[in-house]
Amino acid sequence: MSLLEFFTNHTYRMVLAGTVTIGFVAGALGSFAYLRKQSLISDVIAHAALPGTLLAFLAAVLLAGTGGRNMLGLIAGAVVVGTIAVLFANGVARTSKISIDTAMAVSLTIFFGAGMLLLRIIANGEFPGKGGIQDYLFGNASVITIADLITSLTVGAVALALMLLFWKEFALRTFDPDHSSVLGFSARAIDTLMFTTIVIATVIGVKAVGLVLMVAFVVTPPAAARQWTRTLPGMVTLSAVFGALGSGVGAYLSIVLGNVPTGPLIVLTLFALFLVSLLASPRRSIVTAVLTRRRARAALKRELTGKGSAA
Amino acid sequence: MNFVLGTALLAVVTALACALPGTFIVLRKNSMLVDAISHAVLPGIVVGYFFTQDLESPLLIVGAALAGLVVAVGSEWLGRTGLLTGDAPQGLVFPALFSAGVILVTAKFANVHLDTHAVLVGDLNLAAWEQLTVGGVSIGPTYLYVMLAVLALNCAFLGAGYSRLKVTTFDPQFAGSLGIRVGLVNTAFMFVVSLTVTAAFHAAGAILVIALMIVPPATAYLLSRRLPVLFALTAVIAAGGALAGFWIAYELDAATSAGMAVFYGLVFVVGYLGTRIEQRRRHRLHAVRAVSTAQSAS
Repeated sequence: MSLLEFFTNHTYRMVLAGTVTIGFVAGALGSFAYLRKQSLISDVIAHAALPGTLLAFLAAVLLAGTGGRNMLGLIAGAVVVGTIAVLFANGVARTSKISIDTAMAVSLTIFFGAGMLLLRIIANGEFPGKGGIQDYLFGNASVITIADLITSLTVGAVALALMLLFWKEFALRTFDPDHSSVLGFSARAIDTLMFTTIVIATVIGVKAVGLVLMVAFVVTPPAAARQWTRTLPGMVTLSAVFGALGSGVGAYLSIVLGNVPTGPLIVLTLFALFLVSLLASPRRSIVTAVLTRRRARAALKRELTGKGSAA
Repeated sequence: MNFVLGTALLAVVTALACALPGTFIVLRKNSMLVDAISHAVLPGIVVGYFFTQDLESPLLIVGAALAGLVVAVGSEWLGRTGLLTGDAPQGLVFPALFSAGVILVTAKFANVHLDTHAVLVGDLNLAAWEQLTVGGVSIGPTYLYVMLAVLALNCAFLGAGYSRLKVTTFDPQFAGSLGIRVGLVNTAFMFVVSLTVTAAFHAAGAILVIALMIVPPATAYLLSRRLPVLFALTAVIAAGGALAGFWIAYELDAATSAGMAVFYGLVFVVGYLGTRIEQRRRHRLHAVRAVSTAQSAS
C-alpha cells in the first residue's frame, strides 16, 4: 500500500489520528504517574471506566431519553467514576495499614466487578445501542468517527492544558511533597487534579484500544523516555512523542499487515521502543552500565598494577 | 450431586485456594502482580496449545503458569536493573505478553475455538458443567476436584514452607543471613501463585482472579495483627463471601466472579469503615484522657 493510498482512505486516517492522539496525551500525562511510582493506577482507571461508561449510558438512555452512544457523555461518566476509584485507592492507602498496591487491587476489583454486574443488567434489559463486553475489553480502533476524534482531541487538550497551567504545582508535589505542603499548596487538591488529568488520559483511549491494554499506553512511553532525559519538561515531551510515534507506527503496521488487531500491535511497538531505550540509550541503559563498569574495572586494575598514568 | 450445590462448592473451594496464598502476597505488598500474572495466562495457553494442539490438555495449565512466572521474574529483573521506578516493570511486561497472545490467536489460531472473552471473564457454571460420575452416581463437577487438588497443594506448600515464607516476607535480609535462599523461596512461591491463578481462571476469569486472591486477605489484614488470625479470618471471609457472591450472581443471573468480587468489595469497605471509626474513637479517648490527666496535674 502506498502512503498516498493510506492517507486518502477515511477509515485509515481516522484510526491513525485517533491512536496518535491517545498515545500523545497518555504519554505526556503518564510521565507523572511514572514519577509518582504509581504507573499501575492507570490499570485501575481503565477497569473503573467500565462501570463509569455503563452508568453514563444508562443515565443518557433513562433520564435524557437520548441515544446512549454520545462519546462526550460516556467519557464524562468514565472520568467521574475513574477519579472516584483513584481517590478510593489512595484514600485507603493513606488512612489504613493497607499498602497502595493492595488498595489499588481492591479498587480495581470492586469497580470492575460492579461494571460486570451492570453490564449484565443492561444486557437483560431492552436498551437501544447497547454493546457487548468484548467492545470494552479489547476496544475497536476502526470505529473511530469524526465526532469521537474531535471529542478525544478536545478532552485531551483540556487535560494537557491543566497540566501546563499547574506545571509548577505538579512538579513540586511529585518531587518534593513535603516542601510543597510547607509552601502552603493543598496536597489533596493538587493530587486530585493531577490524578484527574491521568484519568482523562486513560479514559479517552479505552474505546479504541480496550481497558485491558490501556495501561501500556500510560506506562511504556514514560519508561522509555526516562532513559533518554534528566529533566521533567524533556521527559514529558519525549514521552508524548514516543506515545504518538509508537501509536502511529503500530496503527500503520496493523493496517498494512491486514488482519492484525490495532491495540496489541501498538503495545508491541511501544514495548520495542522501550526495549531499545533500556538496552542502548547513551545516558542510562544496560549497555552503558556494562561499559562503565568495565571501564572502571580496567582503570582500577591499571592503578593497582602500577601501569598506565602515574596520576 | 445437585448442580447448584456442586457449583457453589466449586466457588468456595476456588475462593479458598486463591485466598490462602493471597495472604502472603498482601503482606509482601505485591498485590498488583496478581493482575499482571493473570493476564499472562492467555499467551501461556496459546503457546501451550501450539505445542499440544489440544485444548483439554493439562499441559496448558503448566504452560500458562510458566507464562505467569515469566511476568513475575521478568518484572523483578527489570526492577533490579535500577533503570525503572515504582510499579512500572509489571505494567511494562504484562501488556506486551498479552498483546503477543492476542496477535497469535488472531493470526495463527483463528479457526480454533479459543475464546479470549471466556479466558478473561470466565464462567463458573461452564466450569461446573462437566460432572464426575463414579459408579453411575454424580459426585459433583470434575473441576471441583481439580480445584480441591490445587487447594491441597497450596495448603501443603504453605504448611511446609510456613516459617521460611514468614521470615522472607517480613525480613528478607535476616532470612538471607540465616542461610535461607530468598530468591529460591520467592520463585517457588510465585510459581505456586501462578499455578493457582491459572487453575482458577476457568472458574473466575483472568480479570477477577485478583479479587479472589487479594480482597479477602486485605480485609482480614485490616482486622488482625497476628499471622494465624490473619489466615483464619481470610479463610472465613473467602468461603462466606464465595457463597454470598454466588447467591447474588444467581439472583441477578450474572457472572459468579462478578458477584463474588462485588461482595468481597462490600465486606472490605465495611471492614475499612469499621477500623476507621474504631481509630477515631480511640483518638478521642486518648484526647479525653490527656486532658483529664493535665487537669488533675494542675
